[in-house]
Formats: sequence, C-alpha cells, structure tokens
Amino acid sequence: MIISLKDINKSYPGVVPLHVLKDINLTIDKGELVSIMGASGSGKSTLLNILGILDNYDSGEYYLDGVLIKNLSENKAADLRNYMIGFVFQSFNLINYKNALENVALPLFYRGVSRKKRNMLAMEQLERMGMADRATHLPSELSGGQKQRVAIARSLITKPSIILADEPTGALDSKTSKEVMQVFRDLNEDGMTIVIVTHDPGVGEQTNRIIRIVDGRIVS
Amino acid sequence: MIDLIDEILATLRHNKLRTALTGFAVSWGIFLLIVLLSVSRGLINKMEDMFSSRDNEIISITGGWAHKPYKGLTEDRQIKLKDRDMGILASQNASNIAEVSAEIASDSAVIMTSKDYLTDGYKGVYPAAQATNGLTMSDGRFINHNDINSSRRVIVINKESAKTLFGDKKAVGEQVKVNDLSFTVVGVYDHEWTRGSFIPFTTARGMSGGSDVVRRIHVKTKGLTSLEDGKATEKAFRSTLGRVHTFDPEDESALWLWNRFNDYLTTSSAMNAIVFAVWIIGILTMLSGIVGVSNIMFVSVRERTHEIGVRRAIGAKPFSILKQIILESVAITTLFGYVGIVMGVVVAQLIGMAFGEGGVLKDPTVDIAIAVQVTVVLIIAGALAGLFPAMKSLKIKPVEALRDE
Repeated sequence: MIISLKDINKSYPGVVPLHVLKDINLTIDKGELVSIMGASGSGKSTLLNILGILDNYDSGEYYLDGVLIKNLSENKAADLRNYMIGFVFQSFNLINYKNALENVALPLFYRGVSRKKRNMLAMEQLERMGMADRATHLPSELSGGQKQRVAIARSLITKPSIILADEPTGALDSKTSKEVMQVFRDLNEDGMTIVIVTHDPGVGEQTNRIIRIVDGRIVS
Repeated sequence: MIDLIDEILATLRHNKLRTALTGFAVSWGIFLLIVLLSVSRGLINKMEDMFSSRDNEIISITGGWAHKPYKGLTEDRQIKLKDRDMGILASQNASNIAEVSAEIASDSAVIMTSKDYLTDGYKGVYPAAQATNGLTMSDGRFINHNDINSSRRVIVINKESAKTLFGDKKAVGEQVKVNDLSFTVVGVYDHEWTRGSFIPFTTARGMSGGSDVVRRIHVKTKGLTSLEDGKATEKAFRSTLGRVHTFDPEDESALWLWNRFNDYLTTSSAMNAIVFAVWIIGILTMLSGIVGVSNIMFVSVRERTHEIGVRRAIGAKPFSILKQIILESVAITTLFGYVGIVMGVVVAQLIGMAFGEGGVLKDPTVDIAIAVQVTVVLIIAGALAGLFPAMKSLKIKPVEALRDE
C-alpha cells in the first residue's frame, strides 16, 4: 500500500468556508495505474495537491510509502517531494532557458548531486524516453509530445515512489496523447505506481482503476 | 556555479533594456565613487608629498610690525629679530624646543662664474635648513656644522642654478664669486620651487657689515601632539619675544608665525573630511543604482513565480531559492560595479595625465585597499538589493506549479 488516506478533510477559509474535501478515504497499492476523475471544482486538484505534498489538509491521516505526511516543515516537504514524488504537469513546466538534459537533471541538483553525475543519469532517462537525440534542445525547440517526454524523464530521475500526473495530456492532440499514455502504461508495466488526475474519460479508460470524485467525496 | 551563471544570464536576457539601464545606474554610481576617491587620493598624495619632504615640526618666526602702543612705545614700530633672540627663545622655552636656527638673507647679491651670473641673492643658514626647506641633495652635501664653526666660504646651489652657472659641467668643487668673494660649491640640491643659494650662517653674518638682524628664526619643536599644544607654543614665543622687543604679546602683527605643525594637523583633518564626504557622496549616488537592482529583482521574481513554483514542486528548498535570488542580485551589482570601477580607474588615470607632474594632484589612483573596500560595498549592496525580492520569493508556494501560465 503506497498511498493511504484516512478521513481527509480540507476546507479553504473565507467568509463562507469552502469545504472542498469531505472524509476522503483512499488506498492505492504499489504498481497501480490509477486515474482520479472529476469535474472542475470537484476537489480533484486539491486532492492532487495533498497527494503531492504541495498543500496541507485539516484533519485525517495521509501515509505515503509508510511515511505520515502531516504538518511538515517547508524543508522536510521539499525533501519528501524530491525523494518520493515525480510530478508531470499539464503545461510541462520545463524551464525554458535550460535544455532538455538540464531540465531532466534539475531535481538532482536540489539533492546536491554533482553536475557530471546528474547529467549522466539525466541522459539515461532521456534514452529511456527515446529523447537522447534532443538532449541539447531547448523546450521551445521541442513539440508538445517531446516536451512531455522530457517532463516524464525529469519525474523519473529521482526514482520516486509514485508519479503524480496532472492532466498530462491536456495540452496535447489526440495522437500525441495516446503516445504519452502509452509511455505511462509502459512505465506501469515496469512496476511504477502512477496516479493521473484528469477530466478526460479517454484517459481514464486507459488506466486500471478510476476514482471518481464529486463535490469533495469519492463516489466510486 | 555554472548553474548560477546560467540563471543570471537568463535573468539578464529576460529584461535587456531594464538590465542595461539598471546596470548603468550601478556603474555610474561606482564610477563617480572611484573618480572622486581617486582625485581626493591624488590631493592627499600631493599634500603628503609636500609635508613629508620637509620638516613638519618647525615654527618659523619673522619680525613684523607692532600696531598697538605698548609700555609707552608708540604704534607702528618695526620688530627686527636679532641673533641673540635665538638663545633667548631656546633658554626660555626649553621644554618645547629641540633646536633653534636662523637665516639671514641678501636679496641683491650677485653670484657669478665666468660663464653666467645669478642675481637672486643668497641665504645664510644653519644645517637644519635642509630639512626645513625639504631639499634633496642631487650632488655633494649641504652646509654642515664645521662650515658654521669656521665660517667657511662654501655654497650650496639649486640644480637649475648649477646649469646656468656651469652648464653641463659638474658644479661641486667649482668656484663661484659672491659679491667678489670666492666660494666653493659643495652641494647641488633639487626642489620643486625653491631656487635660492645657501651659505653658512656665520659666513653670511661676516658679510652683513656689522648688522645683527636675522631674516627669520626657525624653531624645531618637540613634544607637540595637538593643535592646542601648537597654539600654546606660539603664544609662549610671542610673550618671550614681546618682553625682549617690548611689544604686546596679543599684538598678532608684531611677529609673523608660520606654524607648520598646526598646518599639518589642520590639513590632515581636512583631508580626512574630504575622504569621508567622498564616500558619502559616492554611496548615495550608488544607492539609486541599488534601488534599480532591487527593482529588477522584484520584476524577475514576479515573472518567474511559476518557475519558482515548479522548482519548489520538484524539491527546491526555500533557502536554495533565497540564495539564488540574492546571489543573482550580488552578481548583477558586482558585474556592473566592476564596469564602473574599470571606467573610473581609466578616467582617474586620464585626469592624472591631464594635470601632469607638479599639478595639484599626484598619482590620482585607487589603491588595492580601496578596490577591496568598494568590492565589499558592492557585495553588501547587491545582497541588500536582493534581500527583499528574495523574501518575496519565499512566499511563493509550490502549488504555483499547478497553475496554468
């Protein structure tokens, strides 16, 4: 069991506090390929934030790979993100003045790995994504699908416990979307646990389990 | 390190014009600071040069005019210093006097060789006159005590005079005629503006036709440490000589006193004030540049909110972001600061060349200590400029990474 959520509640303060997550209970096992689906405003982004240690929750317990994620300091949270989570974003979030290789190597920079070693490891990941020949290209010189492959390589370089993907195909055409989903499926075959947040049923269908969230509650 | 340089170049590229203008402001501030410091350094060098080549503990006394009636004597009497005043001064103010010497002068004497002649006279002096006037011997020696004791007919002349009198021939050992008396040249000196010829005091006394009037008395003081000490000594001299020559010690015009010790102290503190003022002006000018750097870093942080969010999401700690922003700011400040330093040094050199030798400036350059000080100021300024933008960057949450651009 790699992810375990117990009675997670989260509300945003305001004149009328917004209760976005209501008693969420969820477990995801190692090696699963799961999608979280829901309409906008359903609370799926908030759930992703909590899963990705990007945001806090009000009550409940969240265990990631056996570690209780609760009330962490900024530094501890940064470390856990770096070591346990690989992020893939809708808009790729590559740094536009760094080439593909440097982008992939960046998480290791924050881990204090030497430049030579992290570039070597980054090259391995780019090869795995079939992007070795684009290593020195800037993101602006890559197509959407290529950018997402680079972003996936970046998420893999830290050998994370889990990959969290936020609408990974949202900015791609249908053909490229399929290719990227194939990449996720292949990674899953190799044993990687992957959670994809999406509102696209086509993406959800390609995962092994769909978690539907409506109005802050898991419905299935 | 390479990553940091990458980041900095990217920041600079983001806002080329703004970077250029901001950089110009920093460069300009540093440039002014360096030029001002160089020029003041040049002034100080010149001053120190003047003060160090001559004796700074000398008080020179020249007779003046007593303008106040005193003890039954009328006003407007000329006070003439005499040989015996030297001994009186020395015995009555022994605690503050190291040595007393005097000079007599003949302004009209003609100094002649077979080749040419000079008409600017001679001065009869003691050996101390070399230090008092700050003379450097370029050949031979100055008047010594044996010359004084035996009233030798020896003469020390200026390098230029030697050229006039002897041409390219070596002057030391040659004879000159002073008022038809033969003198042997024993030394040739070099000085920026002093041109006179010097003979032993006793020799000159023998040629003064029985007069015992001296032109000037030079007192080498000792044990003075402050302006007050200098003033008190002046006062003591006035009252001593006032008793001898019967004039009111309060009558300032009775004696002309040139207190080099107080001059030196006053000039030194004036110089320190100039340097202080220059730093204030320079740093205030630089401040506008620093505000610009701070501004550009704010813009940079704002524009890169999303990027910083992404970095945070993939594991950057707040401190590493803070460090990056501050180092970028320091780098921009130091980079453009150094451009300013280089330009400032070049312009200071040009100013130095324009004034040339013997001008009011000497070596208007900044030394390594000032370069280090300015560098430290740059780094501190850059860090301060980056501090507030960096604090702002700390507020950026990693959730920003999930927002669409």
